[in-house]
Amino acid sequence: MKKLITVFAAGAAMASFGSAANAATATADATAEILQQVQISKTADLNFGTIVPDDTNAATVSVAANSAGTRNCGGLTCAGAASVSSAAFDVTGANGLNVDVALSGLTSLTSGSNSMPISLNASSTTLAMTGSAVALYVGGDLTVAANQPAGTYDGTFTVTADYQ
Amino acid sequence: MILENLSSRVRTGVAALALATATVAAPAPVHANDLLVAPTRVVLNGSRGTEVILNNIGTEEATYRISLELRRMTPDGGLEEVEIPNEIEESALAMIRYAPRRVVLPPNQPQAIRIGVRAPEGLVDGEYRVHMLFRAIPRPRPAASEAESAGEGFQIRLIPVYGVTIPIIVRHGNLTATAAIANPRIVEEDGVRAVAFDMSRQGERSVYGEVTVTRPGVDVPIARARGVAVYPEITGRTVILPVSEEFQGALAGPVRIQYREPDSSGGGLIAETEAVLR
Repeated sequence: MKKLITVFAAGAAMASFGSAANAATATADATAEILQQVQISKTADLNFGTIVPDDTNAATVSVAANSAGTRNCGGLTCAGAASVSSAAFDVTGANGLNVDVALSGLTSLTSGSNSMPISLNASSTTLAMTGSAVALYVGGDLTVAANQPAGTYDGTFTVTADYQ
Repeated sequence: MILENLSSRVRTGVAALALATATVAAPAPVHANDLLVAPTRVVLNGSRGTEVILNNIGTEEATYRISLELRRMTPDGGLEEVEIPNEIEESALAMIRYAPRRVVLPPNQPQAIRIGVRAPEGLVDGEYRVHMLFRAIPRPRPAASEAESAGEGFQIRLIPVYGVTIPIIVRHGNLTATAAIANPRIVEEDGVRAVAFDMSRQGERSVYGEVTVTRPGVDVPIARARGVAVYPEITGRTVILPVSEEFQGALAGPVRIQYREPDSSGGGLIAETEAVLR
């Protein structure tokens, strides 16, 4: 794991100026403070692909909260399988530390005046840090009404890694 | 079909990464809004302030917002958002000063966030805590993708806003705390066996440190976790530590559980117990 190192060389300048005069006693105070760090990166978006609503039946389309991000179309016609994925984040922190994962309550997607219920779930609520990237996946269930109007449905969700 | 998918994906820009790897040579993945924060915990004694480093580890310029949040610890050791702050939490929010609160950073550009405390006159001794949230503000989508027509189907566009919180702890007055470990037991979660126990806390401040579970005569710990906290709003919590693979089979038997302060705070023993796991 990369370490973030802050170096305070408070006495260094003074020591170099004074080195000619008192070389025998010159000292340099250099302090390197190594801080524990945390990183979070997004590696994939949550994408349900293209969904064609049914004329008569509502259905739930889900994407699993794991690395495969498998889609279940619940009986609807779906396309764009290659683009389907769960959202993926890499969280990197010092080995042995735990972080809690909070996922905000996005409950509905909107497209103009139309809306569609959604519920999201994360692959875990606690991540044990290892010093390298630990993956977190977010999937969801989308409730598609009969004759759900076409359009691009938008929603924003938040993922927070909480340190204790 | 492939062509149709291709065009729709290019237009929406969602899952561009998956598309690229599937068809043509992948361009460098776009890591917008990624971030690094260090350190991951701040304890302030008295009025002296400190700094936290925020770095843009993405590949594009990003705007980050820094805010103060409140969390409460639950009996299982999780942190939950606070909807109605109590008096202590209100005081904590009021006394912590920090700047800047919004910062635009090019890739690989670190920025120090200065944190200070202004304790009001007559502040009651105790521990005050907020959780500082660092996260990027999502960029507006290009206008082209707004003029999207999805034909008979529809497209879903989910924008993740993600970030990190770290605790900022202010200790006012001479505070003490003790902890004790009780009821060690074997539990099973998702087919993996783990050691669980109850950690109780007494006193005016939180306790924080590393837990190790060892077997007499064996050097390698059966289980360990750093950064285990019990915050002042609770008097105890459960701690569950997954057990490494080599001890999965023979977990029952005598163990010693130790809870120590981090090395940076002296590494002192906070609590210890010996027990037989069944």
